[in-house]
Amino acid sequence: MRAIQADGRPMEVLLIEDSAGDVRLTQEAFRIADPSIHLHVVSDGKEAMAFLKNEAAHVHAPRPDIILLDLNLTKMDGCEVLAHIKSNDNLKTIPTMILTTSEAEADVVRSYRLQANCYLNKPAQWDAFESLVKSINDFWLTKVKLPQPSHVE
Amino acid sequence: MITRELGESNESDAKYRGLLEAAPDAMVVVNQDGEIVLLNVQAEKQFGYRRDELVGQKVKNIIPEGFAERLIADALRSAEDALAQQIGTGIELTGRRKDGSGFPIEIMLSPLESAEGVLVTAAIRDITKRKKAEANLLQKVEELNRSNEELEQFAYIASHDLQEPLRMVASYTQLLSRRYKGQLDSDADDFIAFAVDGASRMQRLIQDLLAYSRAGTKAKHLFDTSSEEALQQALVNLRGAIEESQAVVTHDPLPNVLADEMQLIQVFQNLIGNAIKYQNPGVPRVHISAAKNDEMKWIFSVRDNGLGIDSQYFEKIFGMFQRLHKREEFAGTGIGLAICKKIVERHGGRISVESQLGHGSTFRFALAGSERES
Repeated sequence: MRAIQADGRPMEVLLIEDSAGDVRLTQEAFRIADPSIHLHVVSDGKEAMAFLKNEAAHVHAPRPDIILLDLNLTKMDGCEVLAHIKSNDNLKTIPTMILTTSEAEADVVRSYRLQANCYLNKPAQWDAFESLVKSINDFWLTKVKLPQPSHVE
Repeated sequence: MITRELGESNESDAKYRGLLEAAPDAMVVVNQDGEIVLLNVQAEKQFGYRRDELVGQKVKNIIPEGFAERLIADALRSAEDALAQQIGTGIELTGRRKDGSGFPIEIMLSPLESAEGVLVTAAIRDITKRKKAEANLLQKVEELNRSNEELEQFAYIASHDLQEPLRMVASYTQLLSRRYKGQLDSDADDFIAFAVDGASRMQRLIQDLLAYSRAGTKAKHLFDTSSEEALQQALVNLRGAIEESQAVVTHDPLPNVLADEMQLIQVFQNLIGNAIKYQNPGVPRVHISAAKNDEMKWIFSVRDNGLGIDSQYFEKIFGMFQRLHKREEFAGTGIGLAICKKIVERHGGRISVESQLGHGSTFRFALAGSERES
């Protein structure tokens, strides 16, 4: 299914992920799910915050419609990034999903306590990874009604 | 001094003295004031004194603590009482030699009625060697526990961390296969297929290794568990395999046992999964039952009508990575039964198999019942 905003603008997805292998897998999967989606990639927590706050090299970065966040990051770990997003009035409305290899119950609980919108495990097989990204696209970028950036302060 | 006369005063004293000298341990006879009345040559050797340096001296000089105090306590009791209380009871104390050095001793007290009142005979054994051996053993046990823990930790971390790079290998070879199958030559297709298969198998191996190492670390708290519910859950987990094979799985009413529920599910799942897998053509039949043995433990039986196992492999099949069939015949990692064995043993039970080639197998394992039995 094709994910496009009411105004015809393509969907903006921010992937916060430090593993090049996972970045490429996600890119490939999104390309299959819907090639029109703009997938932006930052590789650590500090850069993620710069992207979201349009700082430094990210002055012209668009506001993402959804955020995919790995927990295991350098400089600032995923939960810290999540806490920053969810405590920022401007950013907290962006659905933020955790995409991680951690199956630890503690990480699941901690993420939801910090208001993660959902918690996903990275599948160990390509087919499952592809179908997970397709589900994200079908649900979060197609079925779900998201707040319009123009209405957010 | 009256005490000095004890050994010479009469015939029975002389006999007693002879007995003391014949004893392999150091022997010291003490009166109610805590003074040494008599001692043997072993005591001289052990404490490094000449006899005349000790006789008439306080026993505190050679046993600073724990002995004289007991004499006072004993003085308040009758000799018979004291005798009944002290006989055969070793008391571990510290002895002090003439040169001031200390050494561990074990003393055995026995009261001796004499004309001068109740005396106490102390047999004193130097237990330096035993203490060293004990400390050594304790240290060895600690080291062994530590190295076991480290090994389990290592297996867990290694397999956990191996998953990450392996996920990359598996995902990308699968992506290669999806995208380029039939577009390269047939050699390339074969090579990619082998890589995909190898990566998938390694993933299953690592999953099983993780399950195996978890089985060792987790079975610490056992609770009252319905084995029937555990079985039901195992059957739910096996639904795919049961439907595919059209297996008929039946069971008797099953008891409550003391178990880690997740692990009991795993045992049922592995045993029933095997029973369904290693089959002749036809309908796999599996029956689960439980009976109490004379040690009041529940013996669970998982009986199947499958291929059966040659008796020479009865031990081997419970080892790690042990497989009796080629991968092409039956898929698997050879860890399933090793996990079962580890879990059952961590529950204080044993697992065994009874089988005849071509006539099915019965796996049995024992678990302790819980007080609230259903």
